[in-house]
Amino acid sequence: MYEMLLYLDGGNMINFKINGKDVVAQKGETILQVARKEGIYIPTMCYLEKTTPIGSCRLCVVEVEGYDAPILSCQSKPTDGIEVQTDSDELFKHRKNIMELYNVNHPLECGVCDKSGACDLQNKTLEFGLSCQSFTAKEQNRPKKDWGRIQYDESLCILCEKCVSTCNEAVGDDAIELHFGGYSSSIVPKGSETLDCTYCGECISVCPVGALISKDFKYTANAWELQKIPASCSHCSAGCEISYEVKHTSTEDQTQKIYRVTNDYEENTVCGAGRFGFDFGNSETKGDFSEAVEKLRNAKSIVFNSNITNEEAKILSEVSKKTGAKLVNREALNFQNFLKAFAVNAGESLYNGTLEDVADSNQVVVIGTKISTDNPAVRYALTQAFKRNRAFISYLHPVYDSLLQNTIRQFINYEVGTEEGVVALLVDTILENSELDLDIGYLSGETNVGEEELEQIAKISKRATKKTLVVGADLIAHPKAENIAKFLGLVQRTALWKVLIVPPETNSLGVAEICELSDEAVSPSVGYNMKADFVISALGGDFSVPALNQQEGTFVNLNREVVKTHVAVPFEGRNLNELANKVLGSDVENTIDYTKELFGTHFDDLEIFHLETEITSPKAEVSEVEDLPTFDGTLIYLSNPHLQFSPFTEKAISSEAPLLGSEQFAVAGKLSDGDEVEFEILGEKFRRKFQIDRNLRGVIALNPIFDMGLSAYSLSSNYRFQKAKIEKVK
Amino acid sequence: MGTKVYFSTWRGEFIDNRGKKPEEWAESGYDLPATYSTSQDSKAFIGWDGVSLFSEEVDVVRLATEYAAQYQEYSEACGRCAPGRWGGRILYDLLDKIARGEGEFSDVEHLKEVSETMMETSKCEIGKTVPIPILNLMEHFEEEFGNLIREKRKSKHYDSEVSYIAKVTAPCTDACPTGVDIPAYIEGVRDLRFDDSLQATRGSMPLAHTCGRVCPHPCEDACRRSNLDEPISIMELKRIGSDFETDHGLAFLHPTEQKPKIGKKVVVIGSGPAGLTGAYYMALEGIDVTVYEALPVLGGEVAVGVPEYRMPIGKYEKDIEAVKDLGVTFHVNSPVDDEMMREFEKEYDAILIASGTRISKKIRCENERPEIQGYWGAIDFLDKVNLYEKYGIKLTEEEKREHDIKEDFVDLTGKTLACVGGGFTSMDVVRCAIRANAEKVIMLYRRDEKTIIRNTTYEEYHEAVEEGVEFKFYSAIGEMVDEDDILKSLKINTFELQPNPDGGRPKLVQVEDGDYEIEADYVIPAVSQSADLGFIPKEWEIELTSWKTILTNGRDYQTSRKGVFAAGDAEYGPMTIVNAVGQARRAASVISRFVQSGEISLTDEEIMEDHLKKLGVYNKKEPIRGWLGNQKREVSEKLGVDERKTNNREVNLGFTQEEAISEAERCMRCYYISMVAT
Repeated sequence: MYEMLLYLDGGNMINFKINGKDVVAQKGETILQVARKEGIYIPTMCYLEKTTPIGSCRLCVVEVEGYDAPILSCQSKPTDGIEVQTDSDELFKHRKNIMELYNVNHPLECGVCDKSGACDLQNKTLEFGLSCQSFTAKEQNRPKKDWGRIQYDESLCILCEKCVSTCNEAVGDDAIELHFGGYSSSIVPKGSETLDCTYCGECISVCPVGALISKDFKYTANAWELQKIPASCSHCSAGCEISYEVKHTSTEDQTQKIYRVTNDYEENTVCGAGRFGFDFGNSETKGDFSEAVEKLRNAKSIVFNSNITNEEAKILSEVSKKTGAKLVNREALNFQNFLKAFAVNAGESLYNGTLEDVADSNQVVVIGTKISTDNPAVRYALTQAFKRNRAFISYLHPVYDSLLQNTIRQFINYEVGTEEGVVALLVDTILENSELDLDIGYLSGETNVGEEELEQIAKISKRATKKTLVVGADLIAHPKAENIAKFLGLVQRTALWKVLIVPPETNSLGVAEICELSDEAVSPSVGYNMKADFVISALGGDFSVPALNQQEGTFVNLNREVVKTHVAVPFEGRNLNELANKVLGSDVENTIDYTKELFGTHFDDLEIFHLETEITSPKAEVSEVEDLPTFDGTLIYLSNPHLQFSPFTEKAISSEAPLLGSEQFAVAGKLSDGDEVEFEILGEKFRRKFQIDRNLRGVIALNPIFDMGLSAYSLSSNYRFQKAKIEKVK
Repeated sequence: MGTKVYFSTWRGEFIDNRGKKPEEWAESGYDLPATYSTSQDSKAFIGWDGVSLFSEEVDVVRLATEYAAQYQEYSEACGRCAPGRWGGRILYDLLDKIARGEGEFSDVEHLKEVSETMMETSKCEIGKTVPIPILNLMEHFEEEFGNLIREKRKSKHYDSEVSYIAKVTAPCTDACPTGVDIPAYIEGVRDLRFDDSLQATRGSMPLAHTCGRVCPHPCEDACRRSNLDEPISIMELKRIGSDFETDHGLAFLHPTEQKPKIGKKVVVIGSGPAGLTGAYYMALEGIDVTVYEALPVLGGEVAVGVPEYRMPIGKYEKDIEAVKDLGVTFHVNSPVDDEMMREFEKEYDAILIASGTRISKKIRCENERPEIQGYWGAIDFLDKVNLYEKYGIKLTEEEKREHDIKEDFVDLTGKTLACVGGGFTSMDVVRCAIRANAEKVIMLYRRDEKTIIRNTTYEEYHEAVEEGVEFKFYSAIGEMVDEDDILKSLKINTFELQPNPDGGRPKLVQVEDGDYEIEADYVIPAVSQSADLGFIPKEWEIELTSWKTILTNGRDYQTSRKGVFAAGDAEYGPMTIVNAVGQARRAASVISRFVQSGEISLTDEEIMEDHLKKLGVYNKKEPIRGWLGNQKREVSEKLGVDERKTNNREVNLGFTQEEAISEAERCMRCYYISMVAT
């Protein structure tokens, strides 16, 4: 009983003192973490909250009574009763000496350094009042390194290793490392001559000095001239919190322009599309306003996609209600139907998993998505789950993703088209005492998912305490989506697993919640950033409207949170609200006036909140898994490369778009690296360069769609594996 | 012991023989490297704990400068913190400035200032300790430094050729028989860079899975962390890197790129830890290696001796595959004989004997006759258990008859088994017997509980007790009792410890009237093993030790016959896996030079390694500075006794990630650098 009491009475709490103040640490917390929580300042140069302590700067040393040498606070966990002093003459002297060392041979080029004004080295040098340098060391030749979009300037580098830790622990690329060598240490690409990574640019973000910078941004602006526009990234459903940093274009041209995107790197990890793909604003003002109004008024269908704010979706709904036009968005409709079917057995209207759940899990199963490019934020969460918790991650997909090899424990390659069978087997595996009546032998044979593979998932599941199932776009656009969703609903209902259904497009969830949707468009149709008889678009078309970085509004992200975005660049023309006012005969001043209608709060007062799930009484209905289809012949998977999601990212970032095939694919199609090929998928004609990707396995090729203009959106609303006949162009 | 020194501050000793005649010099109590090698004297030794001069001739300013330079040079361990990275360079630049006659007195002040910040705030001990001998020299040879500054002249040997040989070590690394770079692999875990961790291990230990599981970890007895609270769980952190490689199906991460073939061939006898290690490092050097193994399976005693529940064969096979990955050729079921050895000598450039010790020694009791049914040597018993449990190899009809076993595997249902031993092998026997469903399992040991724990590990003993092994201490077999050559019972003598009236170790004395008898169906001698060296041609006249193992000098592992080397238990006698690995690693290094040059040589690194081992790196009296104490050692989860005792599941579940990181964060990175001037 005594022991029991001890445990309850703070077995996990450590009481100690910092600067005479009584403080409490949770088990596992460090002295530095407690100090920060208590608002007590301890200087650091290398500390990152989102990684394990690096411990390279040594500035955070503190004194502990009874210990005759300073203790490193970022890494030390306090013990009961210790008395910590965070400042003393002695500590100040050492910290000042360290800052002096940091400044040995640091080039005095603050006048032209990108980081100037927002530089930790500048700030700490001032903080410690360094007015002269008493240490010298021989200067060495440190040439700048060109790493694609990134420039590394060794002479500015203070070797804090924040970039290395972030790349390894938060991103998962593990593309850079410290080259040991005392004074001549430097950051180098890991295992290759030049940087080979997904170019998320998070290393730039965490760099406290000007050593790692974006080459495009270099010498274009000073930190203090830029205004930060808070926004949500519009490229995928992670809706990452970012800032567009803006100022005027030039002394002659006062138009506001985005110079770069930054993020609060302690809060999130942003991918390269978010960081570098910001220049997609629409500068055109094409088309006649009254013509556009007429087209919208008379449209029988309004075709749109989910790269849209909630407010715009609401406006389209209002128009549809008024004119009777059908709202056509197949991708969002698929998602809506998927959620509906999911809800039947889940007993609630929404999935319950979040990115944080993934990162905290010690078991994750990912199915039906090439997650590293479909949604980098989920991939980063997987990285963190593995790094922090050594999570057992199973990845079920027909396409092997070598990028995830270090993160994922189990790749299960299933046969294309058999997703329904795979999901049935998986759900049967992870439900304890499943009452599903499955023909395991048949399903296992047809899907090519081995029983031992499933047993391993079951075995881990018995010991794992936090488990998340991640479901991707391949299942949502699947011909058997309804039954698949019903199976998945059973998993969420167990309450033992969280389920995260990754919305395929930026605001699929918002659109699915707001709009009544239908499938096929009829003429006359109006497209909103979609192909139709009359196209209203931020990417050409018949009538110009602003792009998403030119608008205020909200999205619902994959965490089911309503997030806001603001205007970063001006748009000279008219927008959807103005068109709709004419059709609706209303006089709504701003698009964001619809925010209140949607969420009950005015846009300016809206704080991030979760959509509420509706509780229903759960059922347990699934249909029998009937004959699984077999796909023979040449298979192509619709999948974009890193940095690309849509025609908007394509506008902002130029990248190549080859057809990437495995070696077997090349053999089967008698293709060689570099061949020009032609093929047709879902009525779209492609002409691409063929490239062999030696990391791919099986007879498969990846075909990007981001460069297909507005057709990209209709392509992405289909099942992503398609047959195609590849012709070599002579 | 005792070294003649001119001047020394090593480890708290202060000896100053300046102004005295060499014959009057006071000696140091430490075994300092005054003689570098048989052909070379050394003039000075400088390291983390002070400096020793063996000659009046030493240029102390240059010595200090070179030590700082070597720290820069050997800073693989460095570059990871601000004070160490820049501080080390500044030390060197300032010392060199003084040594070349351009110094000023303010430089001395800056040296002291930088030294202090390095000593108080550096990340690893190397940064914290490098200034120590430099400050020693500046203090005790103040005049020498001052004169150079005042007179603006170069130090006396500034332009002459002096050779300086440095080595980085750590107390744990020094205590490890194969010198694993332990702080580096722990840092790999701490930094969540498991690939780096594994590569650091494989630098001197190819059996990362194995020694991450079943090593008796002598390193942990030399862990400086025990001076503060408890030693780091060094061994268990090792398996994290190898598990990562295996679990993620990565290509084998070798410590260095394999060298192109050099056109030399070496044959290895035996594929146990020593044979595998020798093959691995020779293959990395570009040598064609062929391994002969007598048993039907590879791996030696770790395969057929160590049970599955301690060392899963799937994991050991990964260690073996890493060796195969370098193109080593293996022949199983291939016992060698003297005829083959003669052929090998002609065909190959060198031979490495790593055949182990596979003969179970006798108990030495009355009526100890091999023909008694139930008398079963530990090595053979474990072979039979493991060959079935790990490889599915069944007992032959003859073996079943010989040992009175009904099933195709060792099934002891209803039987009583007694084992005589006290070491790891006997623990394996009794715990396997439990898993073979024996009705009763008895361990007989002449000494007490404390000694058995010291000879094995606390976990091993504790787990055996939990599983139901009955330990009888102070007990030894007096006589085996049989009926028609079938074992029936054992007459046991008991002993007690009697204090030695002359002081010293207490004596073990048989207790009169203390005898008793126990019934037993099997008695397994697991006292010790000896080497079976019958395959070595008689005319080679290989010299043997008094233990009948192969004699070498314990440094280069060449036997009395040129080109024939020996490592592992065949050389040392039955010892640990890590000892075999360490010997074979050294032998591989020596052989890789021998096959090229025909000479036996050690590298400077190896010579220094031996010097430091003799000197002793770990100092258990040293107080620890700069680390918060009372940080508990993490303990990994083990299978519960009921979950494990009827099967072969791995008992130790290993650290969770949280535990591993927390344990790795306790490591103080006690790298040290030492240097000899010759």
